[in-house]
Amino acid sequence: MNRLALALVSFAPLLAQPAPTGAREIMEEVQRRQKAASLHYEGTLEVSGGGGRVATKSWVFDRIGSFGESRSVLRFTVPAEVKGVALLIVNHPDRASDQWIWRPAIGREQRVAIQDRSTRFFGTDFSFEDLEERDLNQFEFRLASSEGANWVLDAKPKKASQYETTKVTVSKDRYTVTQVECFGKKGLVRTIQYRDFERIKNIWTARTVEVADAQRNSRTTLRYDRVDYNLAMRESDFTVDALRRR
Amino acid sequence: MILLRLISWPYAKKHLQRWLLTISGIALGVGVFAGMHTANLGVLAAFQRTIDRIAGQAQLQVSAGEAGFDEEVLERVRAIPGVRAAAAVIEATVSTPAGNLLILGVDMLGDRSMRSYDLESADDVLEDPLVFLAQPDSILLAKTFAEKNGLALNSRFPMRTMEGDRVFVVRGLMRPGGMAEAFGGSLAVMDLFAAQKFLGRGRKFDRIDVALDEGADPDGAGERLRAALGPGFEVEPPQSRGRHFEETSRMYSVASRITSVFALVIGMFLIYNTLAVAVIQRRTEIGVLRALGATRGQIRTLFLAESAVAGAWGSLAGAALGILLARGASAYIGGMLTTIYGVPLAGESAPDLRLLAVAVGAGVVTSVLAGWLPAHAASSVDPVAALKRGRVQSLGRSESRWRMRIALGMALFSSLALLFEANAYIFYLGFVLSALAAAMLTPLFSKAMAKWLRPLFAKLLPVEGTLAADSILQAPRRAAGTIAALMLSVSLVVALGGLARASHGAIRQWADIALNPDFFVTAAETVTARTFTFPAALADGLRTVEGVEEVQPVRTLRVTVKNGGVLLMAADVAAIERRAKLPAVEGDSATMYPETAAGRGVLASEGFIKLHGARLGETLEIPSPSGIVRLPIVGVVRDFSDQRGSLLISRDLYRKAWNDETVSIFRVYLRKDADHTATRDRILAKFGQTSRLFVLTNRDIRRFIDQVTEQWFGLTYIQIAVALSVAVLGVVNALTVSIAERRRELGMIQAVGGLRSQVRRMVWTEALTVGGIGLALGLALGVVTLFYALAISRRDLIGTDIGFAYPWQTAAILIPVIAAASFAASLGPAESAVRGPVSEALEYE
Amino acid sequence: MIRLRNVTKKFEGKRQVVALDGVDLDIERGEMVSIVGPSGSGKSTLLNLIGGLDRPTSGEISLDGDELSRLSDDALTLARRDKIGFIFQSFHLLPTLTSLENVSLPLHLRGWAAARVAERASELLTLVGLGERLDHLPEELSGGERQRVAIARALSVYPPVLLADEPTGNLDMASGREILRLIRDLHARFGATVLIVTHDSAVAESCPRTVGFRDGRAVSDVRREVAVP
Repeated sequence: MNRLALALVSFAPLLAQPAPTGAREIMEEVQRRQKAASLHYEGTLEVSGGGGRVATKSWVFDRIGSFGESRSVLRFTVPAEVKGVALLIVNHPDRASDQWIWRPAIGREQRVAIQDRSTRFFGTDFSFEDLEERDLNQFEFRLASSEGANWVLDAKPKKASQYETTKVTVSKDRYTVTQVECFGKKGLVRTIQYRDFERIKNIWTARTVEVADAQRNSRTTLRYDRVDYNLAMRESDFTVDALRRR
Repeated sequence: MILLRLISWPYAKKHLQRWLLTISGIALGVGVFAGMHTANLGVLAAFQRTIDRIAGQAQLQVSAGEAGFDEEVLERVRAIPGVRAAAAVIEATVSTPAGNLLILGVDMLGDRSMRSYDLESADDVLEDPLVFLAQPDSILLAKTFAEKNGLALNSRFPMRTMEGDRVFVVRGLMRPGGMAEAFGGSLAVMDLFAAQKFLGRGRKFDRIDVALDEGADPDGAGERLRAALGPGFEVEPPQSRGRHFEETSRMYSVASRITSVFALVIGMFLIYNTLAVAVIQRRTEIGVLRALGATRGQIRTLFLAESAVAGAWGSLAGAALGILLARGASAYIGGMLTTIYGVPLAGESAPDLRLLAVAVGAGVVTSVLAGWLPAHAASSVDPVAALKRGRVQSLGRSESRWRMRIALGMALFSSLALLFEANAYIFYLGFVLSALAAAMLTPLFSKAMAKWLRPLFAKLLPVEGTLAADSILQAPRRAAGTIAALMLSVSLVVALGGLARASHGAIRQWADIALNPDFFVTAAETVTARTFTFPAALADGLRTVEGVEEVQPVRTLRVTVKNGGVLLMAADVAAIERRAKLPAVEGDSATMYPETAAGRGVLASEGFIKLHGARLGETLEIPSPSGIVRLPIVGVVRDFSDQRGSLLISRDLYRKAWNDETVSIFRVYLRKDADHTATRDRILAKFGQTSRLFVLTNRDIRRFIDQVTEQWFGLTYIQIAVALSVAVLGVVNALTVSIAERRRELGMIQAVGGLRSQVRRMVWTEALTVGGIGLALGLALGVVTLFYALAISRRDLIGTDIGFAYPWQTAAILIPVIAAASFAASLGPAESAVRGPVSEALEYE
Repeated sequence: MIRLRNVTKKFEGKRQVVALDGVDLDIERGEMVSIVGPSGSGKSTLLNLIGGLDRPTSGEISLDGDELSRLSDDALTLARRDKIGFIFQSFHLLPTLTSLENVSLPLHLRGWAAARVAERASELLTLVGLGERLDHLPEELSGGERQRVAIARALSVYPPVLLADEPTGNLDMASGREILRLIRDLHARFGATVLIVTHDSAVAESCPRTVGFRDGRAVSDVRREVAVP
């Protein structure tokens, strides 16, 4: 899985088993605790640029399945002029996701090409790639430090990515990811922090995620509301055709 | 050099006016050459720069000519190894209240990897990219353009789209520099898919810009792309787009080349004339120099150096003039291309140093060549005879014999050269030599004509007429240069007039048959702009309009066949045959239309055949997105739809091979009893609101065609004006010399009781005689020049044999024009002839 | 110095004119000879032939050992350039040039350096008494002064032979005498061979030798003692 995927969807299940020690085992445990049949939340996004401007956007998010086997739909609700624009993400266990944007004003969908995934996601500090949920198998993990209350892991993507490596901080008590630092060829690209954890349906869930772009000096804060897990959802609602229907 | 200062400069200073006239002849020639070429290059360079700016980081561009191609091609391109990024583009020009605007449709998600938009907002982010995507009415404008038109962020901006008039919102401003400079800022960026919708592209793209992996070899990547996409696609570096443009501006450069050669030749005769006269005037001086020990070589060098210096000054002045001319001309050419091709182009004319050097070099070389004969004459001045007073050396017999021989040789060569039309060098050399030969024979001709005119003049104006004719008879060489210059100018005018007349005629003939529909329904204001197309369904809609009898959908697009761009027209050939059947130039006119209609052949225009070296029966390979379409040429017709040639194929075949249902033009025939205006209004009322649609009447089209033809010749009219003014300079020059030489004679006439008015009349008569002879010879030489001009147009311009027709009308206009010009030219010299006391004139030496 | 053997010159025209008819003449180095005769007697033609401006129809002319008829056109010009100075009746000064420039002209034709040319030219003009008029144009000078400039020009290269065609013909009596004195003076000073064509008997008689011409033939050859004035 991936740094930001976590960002949007990160939950920490209860500790049950004996503490794992290897890096990969730690991540497996993180994923196990986050696992849910579906996820729903309403997100509110604030982008504060260098010039002090603040832009606010909101969306509704639904996901069926978990990680490499999941599909998600993200639908903008605020501001009015972007209402109805939707993003469909179909994750694959073995490769980069497929993504489509639905554009109601011209009544058609538009594929987001792999080459464009490093583009910033609609003026936020996320990139399209950050919206994917990749399977653990697409990374190589290495335990960098286990001092104090956290583990720090190095994750290296095996497949094409804008990042060279990411540094993932996992809290030892809840097995939740609390910080991800993403490094590109030229150093730190962005830092993602997870805060305000709350336990929802037994999953430790961060209610606030903050992304800071290291190069542009801007910040995006995402707040999760009405988070719920394991609601009844239909696979058929997560297709391009379904986008069109809505 | 010291001789130049001691001998030539004082003489030049004394006859400054004459030298200035001479120099201005060369200056005009060089100026026209440099100016027209600079303008051409300038417009081309502006186009190239624009292309580069718009291309951004693209190293290769994929297109299917003008046909557009399916969206899935983008994924195929992206999958090819070596391709780092590929971005689809839609390009079109729309007219707006603020002038023509190039719309660039790009995918806002991914295009940043291809182009930098350099937006105004602080951190180079679109104000809100999501809004841009969510609201298809969003556009980016160049800041300069926006400011010029009083637009700011979130301003509303109306544009005429394929879905009717729409209002767009300015959601970003591009800073000057980079992209925003393309097309002089007349550029709007729109979302790719919005552009598809508003520009009537369906689910097709116009072009894919490709950036390669770092270090990837563009040639290799190009090969892979070509192999993967098939023959219907063109994969070229962005720079090569200038090539098509070059093709279209080619006819202007050919035309301007011809004129500048003419102007140079005319300038050459002015130099020749001035120097020949100078040699006669300075015979004593030459004799003294020879007696003092100057060798023949020194004398020759002196005169050659004089012509070289005159040529150099003239050429430098010409280069300066050329830069000025280029400003005007590039605006003109740019404007013309804008009307014809709908591309907003600001022609910037940055002078090309190499070109200017060539022009100056050509001017100097021409001058030195022109100085050759006079310099030779000067070097063979007999010092003994020169030192005796009063006797004037007339044209040496041996020289005139030589001249005769050379001239006849040239004439022979040039008539033979017409047989070698295929070889550009021989052909154009023949053209130049025909003019030179005529010019060299001018003294002979003018002497003969003056002899013939003398008795007539003697009857009409006993004193003035006789003296005027005698003046030409006594010194045929003095007037000959002028007459030659006049003759060349007149012949050029005749040739251009004839060319205009013949093309007008041929085009009108074609238009009568081919352009007989009552209405042309187009998506652009002109029939030639091909950026917009209609959905095929509109045909059915049009058919239901009351008064409409028949609708013929035609798709036109530019394709590359036999390495050249030609216009492909896809239509219901059977319907065309029924309504507008052109006679066969080659092929069987009974079967060629049915064969073409059945998709078994193609009808080619005569221009295509000539310009691309094709022949009847040859199988053409026409690239389409689904592969090469192979069709034999089953017939050749005279069609002027495109200057580079055109091909007609069946629309059914086109729809299949190009997978394109769209239509460029509907040819609409009305019922006999239909009210044209009412029907037009009905069409506009029914579709005008929901579609970008223009109904051009038959008369509109005819006017447009006339306008295009006129514009073409508008350029040549400028050139005619140049040629004529050079000739007028020549008349002034010759008269000034004539009067200076005959000051004593003129003084004598006054001393023995001649009135000043009589002297004046004599000068006027002489001018009119010179003008008349030049005109007569020019009208005659015009036959030859017209012959060449037609051959040039056949082999290099439109490829069609448009038939010889002497432009009597132009010739008739020239008579008063030349008469008035020579009279005007004589006014100054006539006054100077009668100025000053008679006694001074008598002492003049 | 100058040797003519059987020199004939005919002019072709509507009718043939025989200007010189089998002339033999020898002139030694340093002689000062006047040539006299009526108009059309051939004296100017003789001068043109000796000066290499024209070629004889037949016969031989040798100048300082050079057989002129064997020389090419350019060689003839070079011989003229180095050995002959011309003085004309109507001066033939270039009206646009100053005295100094007129005198400089032959030197420039020989390709001399500008500084040397100016030096020599002003030296010669001083010699003929025009040291104060270097920058005057011909039209600002009197007839006598113009001829002095022409003489200075003829002398500019120190030619061994000086040919004068009616040098006093266009001058009043006083100026004519002065010019003649100048020529004799220069003859004495430079030792050049001088030929003067004239029909002024006073001029003729001031020379130690006078050759008379009539109808293209030398009809008299008189030598006399002349007092140095």
